[in-house]
Amino acid sequence: MSALIIAVPAKGRLQENAENFFARAGLALVKPRGVRDYRGTIAGLEGVEVAYISAAEITAQLAAGAVHLGVTGEDLVREMIADSDKRVVLVEGLGFGFANVVVAVPQAWIDVRTMADVDDVGTDFRHHHGHKMRVATKYVNLTRRFFSRHGVMDYRIVESSGATEGAPAAGTAELIVDITTTGATLAANGLKVVEDGVILRSQANLVAAKAAAWGESERATAKVILDRIAAQARARAFREVRARFAAGDATLVDLAREKFGVETPFGGPTSSGMLTLHCPPDEVYALTAFLREHGAEAVAVADLDYVFSRDNPLFAKLASSLP
Amino acid sequence: MDATVSQVPSMPDARAEALVASYERAGYARIAPAILQPADPFLDLSGEDIRKRMFLTSAPDGAEFCLRPDLTIPVSRDYLASAEAGKIAGYCYLGPVFRYRSDGPAEFLQAGIESFGRTDTAAADAEMLALALEATRHYGLPAPDIRIGDVALFAALIAGLDLAPAWKRRLIKDFNRKANLAQDLDRLMLGGGAARPEYHGVLAALAGSDPRGAHALVTDLLSIAGISAVGGRSVGEIAQRFLEQAALGASAKLPRDVRGLIERFLAIEGEPDDAAGELRSLNGDVGKALTPALDLFESRIGFLAAHGVNLKRVRFSTAFGRGFDYYTGFVFELTDPAKSGDPLVAGGRYDGLLTRLGSIEQIPAVGFAAWIERLTGDEGAA
Repeated sequence: MSALIIAVPAKGRLQENAENFFARAGLALVKPRGVRDYRGTIAGLEGVEVAYISAAEITAQLAAGAVHLGVTGEDLVREMIADSDKRVVLVEGLGFGFANVVVAVPQAWIDVRTMADVDDVGTDFRHHHGHKMRVATKYVNLTRRFFSRHGVMDYRIVESSGATEGAPAAGTAELIVDITTTGATLAANGLKVVEDGVILRSQANLVAAKAAAWGESERATAKVILDRIAAQARARAFREVRARFAAGDATLVDLAREKFGVETPFGGPTSSGMLTLHCPPDEVYALTAFLREHGAEAVAVADLDYVFSRDNPLFAKLASSLP
Repeated sequence: MDATVSQVPSMPDARAEALVASYERAGYARIAPAILQPADPFLDLSGEDIRKRMFLTSAPDGAEFCLRPDLTIPVSRDYLASAEAGKIAGYCYLGPVFRYRSDGPAEFLQAGIESFGRTDTAAADAEMLALALEATRHYGLPAPDIRIGDVALFAALIAGLDLAPAWKRRLIKDFNRKANLAQDLDRLMLGGGAARPEYHGVLAALAGSDPRGAHALVTDLLSIAGISAVGGRSVGEIAQRFLEQAALGASAKLPRDVRGLIERFLAIEGEPDDAAGELRSLNGDVGKALTPALDLFESRIGFLAAHGVNLKRVRFSTAFGRGFDYYTGFVFELTDPAKSGDPLVAGGRYDGLLTRLGSIEQIPAVGFAAWIERLTGDEGAA
């Protein structure tokens, strides 16, 4: 039986976050031959091989189909893989590694607020200087596509592999395209984000490679893994709210669904008046008040570990896009 | 096998050689520029968008090179580097060019001509089209569809309109992009689009003030903030454009009659003589701004007729030539009437190119390129 290969970042916060993510889904990544090993498995699950490699390398391996699944940033997928939608599937956002790829210009450019301004400045710049304004970035492809979409033509890309935000001050570029989480680094370097200049809101994703060898056993293993991830994702998105009513009322459930976005995994109130709702965490308190106003004697709220449903939405998404 | 790698090497065949030999007999010297070219001129002149189609490589010292994606720039560079630079000279070529395509070989043959330094513009333009027709005739297609345009006409129209410089710059650029000009015009009619709440009041106040004083004020304010030049843009440039925005006004809109004129202009197409008539009548409404460009246009029609070009087969359109990389005047394409799709031969005038490649004096230039595989109908997987 051939193994399903999952590529996980080999170091730093990304590795930690990825391991925590799998652990929450009941999939403990283990390294049977010690922490320095670059190969691992998942405890209690046959037919899986975990490969620890760098995030950029994971993206390349996914594009080539050398691994089945991988954890990597959407920014890298969109930048490094040509026609990425044809070659990989973004199965699920993982809720960490958030960062935006943005167009940033010097704060001193008080005449620039939008990409239309950037476009106009580019033309103006060429007339004044006889060469094109320079954009420092490591996201060459994302930049090219985004600028093209906004009709910006008068610019040149200067490839930058590190400390891109320093390029305008150093005089090696006029503006930059870079990744930012809080914007603090940009501000510290006297840069501001162009209003409609957010190219991509990225986060770490579980990504599947279409070109990998998806035999029966790999599909079966992926199905188990994605089922657990989906169950955990669903559990994380809801709290379980239970209440008992003297008289069950179906219209009350409809009203709660409309007002608070609750779901009813087990249907309406039981014959004994017990009602179980799954409620988005932000709405929990409002929901409990609402239920008590409408006659609930007591309301219990609990965290969920897993919510398994008959369908397996993540696997369905994967299966529908495999050849 | 990778689709981008040609299975049969594109070796110049006898038939293509015969075509180029006929160009040599017509007085164009055969030239064979290097296949490996510095990447900068292509990226500078064609824009970053061409990067996705180019085969780039770098030297150990970091300099960027590419396999030539066309021959116009390499021939122009060789001409500028030669003793002929600045003089009248004409070249013909035959050889491979390299452009990535997802659905076909990336290496294909081009034959063509580039003519430099001639000041008899209309005659040179017409001669190029006549020589281009030699190529299709040589490959058994004596009567291709001929599409022509003249991007200088639009430039003349805009120059003749009573509009702020920022508007003119904007419209010229909109014409030069492949995007939908009508959409852009809609957007311009609606005004600035994105609101500018932060500076709105200041801009409005500055709009009516003494321009030199306003410029000094903004420059001073930026200097107080400790800003001299950031990222290559001087404080003066920033101040100037800031005030230009003020002059446009926060609710700047393209006047309706201007839009009407532009749309009337862009609707003109048909046989060259008919189109010239329509352009003459439009010319009266724009203060005769089109006159020099129109005179050239009509003179070119005369030369085309003298070359025996059947004008009934020629379709002129004012909008044709939009989005082309570096053409400045006459543009043309020859296509097979039996097939839709890519042109067999395409060319035009690019008077601005040689200065952008470093020539101090402006050198007029016109030329065309023929896709050999398209002419033979042997275009690989494409």
